[in-house]
Amino acid sequence: MKFAIALFSPPHAPASRRALRFAQAVLDGGHEIVRLFFYQDGVHSASASVVTPQDELDSAAEWRAFVSRHQLDGVVCIAAALRRGVLNEEEARRYERDAANLPAPWELSGLGQLHEAAQLADRLVCFGGN
Amino acid sequence: MATLHLLSHSPFADGRLNSCLRLLGAADGLLLCGDAVYALQPGTTQLQILEQLPASIALYVLEEDLQARALPVPARVQAVDYPAFVELCGRYAKVNSWL
Repeated sequence: MKFAIALFSPPHAPASRRALRFAQAVLDGGHEIVRLFFYQDGVHSASASVVTPQDELDSAAEWRAFVSRHQLDGVVCIAAALRRGVLNEEEARRYERDAANLPAPWELSGLGQLHEAAQLADRLVCFGGN
Repeated sequence: MATLHLLSHSPFADGRLNSCLRLLGAADGLLLCGDAVYALQPGTTQLQILEQLPASIALYVLEEDLQARALPVPARVQAVDYPAFVELCGRYAKVNSWL
């Protein structure tokens, strides 16, 4: 079965961890993830600038490792990301900001990617809240 | 077309659970996770309402979120882990998250 997973929560929210564990279980169960889409405060879960206390789960780092390891299509909403200061090299240059914090494997793209993912997948599962 | 409803907000903080209950179809399922598992706290109106739902509506709870809050699994509710959560998504035609 094909899954699309959308995350609306930042890395310190339990929903980010829940989405991650769910995504891992999807692949472990032999299913496919057609796209991960990080929207609203979920864009922070893709940020490379997040520093997590040592005794807590570093879910932003885990997401990055997970997407890289499985070569997934990890898309971060560009409008949501820019307004929250989550920028890749190209956007940091475009808007003349000092730092970029969204390296590969993440891609910045538009909300249309969420719509398309919903069409491509058998199930769209969204994670947010607490 | 049955839907699996996914709820993660506390029923003591907002009206999501009530709105969801109004919309639940006869063959729908409800999976409680995160703070939404507080709906299963013994002695609450919320648990009473859930226990009175028709048997055709399946109730699930994400086991680790219930354990994290030291709450018991009510007889009416089935505790699931992540593999079972994934499997449930396939069993229902749609998954609707109450974000």
